[in-house]
Amino acid sequence: MAFNVLIVDDSAVMRAMILRTLKLSGLPIASTYEAPNGEAGLRLLSEHWIDLLLLDVNMPVMDGEEMLRRIRADERTRDLAVIIVSTEGSSTRLAALQDLGAAIVHKPFPPETLRDTILRVTGVTDVEYYGKAAAASDGLDF
Amino acid sequence: MSNTTEKLLRQATVSTFEDLAFLFPEEECQRNDDDTPLDAVVAVDFHGLMRGRLVIRASAELLPVIASNMMGEDESQHMPMQRDALGEIANVVCGNLLPKLAGSEAVFRLDAPQWRANATDARDGDVPIARVCLRLDVGCAQTELYVFMGRERLLAVQTEHAAA
Repeated sequence: MAFNVLIVDDSAVMRAMILRTLKLSGLPIASTYEAPNGEAGLRLLSEHWIDLLLLDVNMPVMDGEEMLRRIRADERTRDLAVIIVSTEGSSTRLAALQDLGAAIVHKPFPPETLRDTILRVTGVTDVEYYGKAAAASDGLDF
Repeated sequence: MSNTTEKLLRQATVSTFEDLAFLFPEEECQRNDDDTPLDAVVAVDFHGLMRGRLVIRASAELLPVIASNMMGEDESQHMPMQRDALGEIANVVCGNLLPKLAGSEAVFRLDAPQWRANATDARDGDVPIARVCLRLDVGCAQTELYVFMGRERLLAVQTEHAAA
């Protein structure tokens, strides 16, 4: 199985960084999609099957928390694997996001932290996909 | 200027440059008049219990290095992406700094980073409450924190920290 991944972040640089980490993670990728805000992200979600969403919080037009609430309210997407990748440091807001079933990766992140979270959230740890070296939590050359 | 605020600003700046841009600040950068100007300027405004602005001023030669380290050579050639890279650094420094200054329960909204055409970007008459200048692999980066409203919150949290 290969994954379709959606990256929603208003920074083109951060989307590029996440995409770079994804490619180095060993996760089998089918397609990647990008959006600069939650509204555009929801549009892509309605048009494509997505297996994993990497989502920023502070964005114009529609922020990540609102996007996540809409995703959980829609039966077609309520079980989507979501990782929040954000600078958000408010314990109040982080608790709300975790209650909505999202994993959290805090910026700035070492690439291996994002990779390990992706592997945990997707539940794919089989060396059939990664090989022994890539499945280990260290030793990858990012 | 509070030593605590300056220390937290330095920590947030150093960790962000290290983790995101793989640049390791060597020492405090003492600026002289004949130094290369810090003419690449980006600002992030924040709103919440406090309202203010975080500004990063950097040597222009740092921009391609930061962008290349964050995205790889191919993606980093264009100036808009180089500016966006410095903007993301400012966004992350600001996002990490505010909960430490105002308490972890405080919620802030951060505006998108704004590129500044000139180096005069503070509001009239305002002076930063904290400033750090670091020497990186190439050039220097200076981070400044302005607080326009809510300084009493900052003082309250720092008093709590001092008492703890």
